[in-house]
Amino acid sequence: MSRRFSWFNATSLTLGFVFLYLPITILVIYSFNSSKLVTVWAGFSTKWYGVLFRDQAYLDAAVITLKVALVSSTLATILGTMAAWVLVRAGRFRGRTLFSGMIYAPLVVPDVITGLSLLLLFIALGLNRGIGTIILAHATFSMCYVSVVVSSRLVSFDQSLEEAALDLGCSPFDAFRSVTLPIIAPAVVSGWLLSFTLSLDDLVISTFASGPSATTLPMKIYSQVRLGLNPEINALSTILISLVTIGVIASSLISKRASVRRQRQEQQALAQS
Amino acid sequence: MISAKTSMKTSLLGAALASLMLTVPAVAEEIHVYNWSDYIDTSLLTKFQKETGIKVVYDTFDSNEVLETKLLAGSTGYDVVVPSASFLARQIKAGVFQKLDKSKLPNLKNVWPEIAKQVALYDPGNQYAVNYMWGTTGIGYNIDKVKEVLGPNAPVNSWSLVFDPANMKKLQKCGVHFLDAPTEMIPAALNYIGENPDSKDATVIKKAEPVLQAVRPYVRKFHSSEYINALANGEICVAIGWSGDVLMARDRAAEAKNGVKIAYSIPKEGAVMWFDEMAIPADAPNPSGALKFINFMLDAKNAAAATNYVNYANGNLASQKYIDKGILADTAIYPDAKTVKKLYITTPYNAKIQKLVTRIWTRVKTGN
Amino acid sequence: MNLRRLALIAVPYGWLLLLFLVPFGIVLKISLSDQALAIPPYTPTFDLAGGWAGIKSFFTGLDLENFTYLTTDNLYWKAYLSSVWIATLSTLLTLLAGYPIAYAMARARPEWRPTLMMLVILPFWTSFLIRIYAWIGILGQTGYLNQLLLWSGLISKPLVILNTPVAVYIGIIYAYLPFMVLPIYATLEKLDSDLLEAAEDLGCSRFSAFWLVTFPLSRPGVIAGCFLVFIPVVGEFVIPSLLGGSRTLMIGKVLWDEFFSNRDWPTASAVAVVLLLILIVPIILFQRHQQRQQELDA
Repeated sequence: MSRRFSWFNATSLTLGFVFLYLPITILVIYSFNSSKLVTVWAGFSTKWYGVLFRDQAYLDAAVITLKVALVSSTLATILGTMAAWVLVRAGRFRGRTLFSGMIYAPLVVPDVITGLSLLLLFIALGLNRGIGTIILAHATFSMCYVSVVVSSRLVSFDQSLEEAALDLGCSPFDAFRSVTLPIIAPAVVSGWLLSFTLSLDDLVISTFASGPSATTLPMKIYSQVRLGLNPEINALSTILISLVTIGVIASSLISKRASVRRQRQEQQALAQS
Repeated sequence: MISAKTSMKTSLLGAALASLMLTVPAVAEEIHVYNWSDYIDTSLLTKFQKETGIKVVYDTFDSNEVLETKLLAGSTGYDVVVPSASFLARQIKAGVFQKLDKSKLPNLKNVWPEIAKQVALYDPGNQYAVNYMWGTTGIGYNIDKVKEVLGPNAPVNSWSLVFDPANMKKLQKCGVHFLDAPTEMIPAALNYIGENPDSKDATVIKKAEPVLQAVRPYVRKFHSSEYINALANGEICVAIGWSGDVLMARDRAAEAKNGVKIAYSIPKEGAVMWFDEMAIPADAPNPSGALKFINFMLDAKNAAAATNYVNYANGNLASQKYIDKGILADTAIYPDAKTVKKLYITTPYNAKIQKLVTRIWTRVKTGN
Repeated sequence: MNLRRLALIAVPYGWLLLLFLVPFGIVLKISLSDQALAIPPYTPTFDLAGGWAGIKSFFTGLDLENFTYLTTDNLYWKAYLSSVWIATLSTLLTLLAGYPIAYAMARARPEWRPTLMMLVILPFWTSFLIRIYAWIGILGQTGYLNQLLLWSGLISKPLVILNTPVAVYIGIIYAYLPFMVLPIYATLEKLDSDLLEAAEDLGCSRFSAFWLVTFPLSRPGVIAGCFLVFIPVVGEFVIPSLLGGSRTLMIGKVLWDEFFSNRDWPTASAVAVVLLLILIVPIILFQRHQQRQQELDA
């Protein structure tokens, strides 16, 4: 397969990543800016990292945001995968049109209205607003993204594989785990990543769904806009990016080594036979 | 038998829960404050906790609109909120706030009567709110660039700088931002052509549109916060903006040592005054704690500390002897008596006129 | 088996009923109400304490006034139209930019694919506002792009990009790229290279092999990606207002003004209901068509 990794593919990947990482490079550089301005370079300094680590409100908001993003995207992935299965595999049932409408509708409704309607619902139910309600809100709109992605993968593979597994005596759960899940895995992972991203960046819906003292990072950042952003957020983003990058490189090195070892073992096995 | 067992279990569980609840220490008294971000010296919050034993949970918002939506939806859970006066007036009518128990606010003796009188136009009798900070909406400009474009006699102390198409045509080269706030911009345009800026008459308000349309082609952007950075890094040379924001741009440019010099002017035709007010929502969980907090902020020394931190004028006359001399002498923050006479306030529109104002503004911005 | 199927249907169904349909019912109700100066800022409000008379007056208080209002001012349909147009063009551009990336990812060595996936999403784990400011820094008159072009001698005067439609499209493509790339990648990933080789062996050119074999296989991913870009972009207005100057008319901005400037929750809700109807009806029809197609194939 790698033989076919043509210059065309290499170019499109390179161009794509240059486009994606151009602003990020600037963001990282400005985290070392000594000025308070996010856009004017005034010399090298690491002071914003110090400011960040002393700013408890900022760190608290970052922790809340990560918690919300992790829980809501996991919930959304489970619910969205179920919803995708229902859409593609469950066949006809009463209320199917309503169901598929409800999958797309949350994507259509603007954030302000989604946020307001959830706020009114939470007030009517007497729910205490806080992290929990933000998670509920995020999981709801994210699951729609997940189910759209997963169902696109589900429709494009043959149901007969699952049926074969069932015929061979697998329980439906086993069939799902050992046949369906590996096939749809790239879509499920994509869905989780998209949900996580949506949750991390959401401002409007979180603002409505939260209560006192549950402030997410975007809420914190936007509340500073009127009085001017400072490079603290650049510093925080840089740390997050570096951590994830290290994690990704490490895991890909490990998986590469594992695949090399597997190949070697296979060769040895061949040589011995 | 089974039922006996379960009932015993539940009673045990109940007892355990009850003892657990008893052993939990009494929750410390708390108040929830919702204010603009970076708008308080946080050491004041710890000082308050030390003096009263009440813990302040402090949240921040980024616009009056967000605050208002939460207040109108109800049960916000906040004890003290800080809306701007023009929003406050409408919120009072909607029944959002409770009246202040003035017997619990001995420090009201410190307030600046002039400011209280102005705010009473929004809050008759000052029954619901106490001033926190106030300021003006004027013109921020890059001293050197404006001189370069319009010559040494550039009318920086007049609204004609931004409302006269001849000036704007030249200024567009170096960039002009307007606030994206129709309730500030339309009164400013009316004031410029000699109409009553606080007019609620549709025929008068419509007169603002041609004034704005005439300079519209030369405005680079309508935005209510981006001008701070844009002014500071020299991307634009003129902005209609809020006093404190322009001063921040000035300080940031100075700090970055990029050679940009920013100044703020209150035009001679007059400018709008705005007020940020502390008030207690009707459904506040801890109104008595809220009153203690407001009284604390009305203390002369505390109010002075707040002003020294945020560089805005406050409505506390007694605090002025503790305020940094530099701030008190800065006419951009504390305008002199002659300028103060020229300042005006605007009261909220009713729903119908508000729609007209928004519609005119959309037309000005998008041409539709 | 049947019980299991029922449970699988019931969980996501119930979730969406409670957390989407019920709240949306509230929005629908507000859209039929009138603006008021109260908590909440509309009337009538539902009050069971009023008994029968209360319920009756509640229903007679509702009307379609806000919807007829939308037809009296051509601002609204112009905004809908312009939003749909911007969304269409953005979707096409994002597809053009995203497809080659997704394709290249799917053709990379399997052990590199998770890494590439992470690399596509990672830029978006920073702050939206900071990314937009970075773009402002790149595209501005004195921005990095102009500096580079001036320095290289390609241009002699700085290009005006910021505050033009070009900047808006760059911003939208940037913000929505992963929503196009990941679904397409997810369908392309299983692509069998043997199939392509077979096609080429049969005398297909590379391009026609792609067009006849690869593209049809990735169609569900392309459709999903286009949905995930098109639908949210219709309601988008933050990117256009930050990068595009103020001339761009978007329905999201109109709704925002109705809601926050005019405090007219009923009209804002009506705008949202109409937006939902405009988009959801074609989507459902399309879905049913797809479903029928699928059943025919099977």
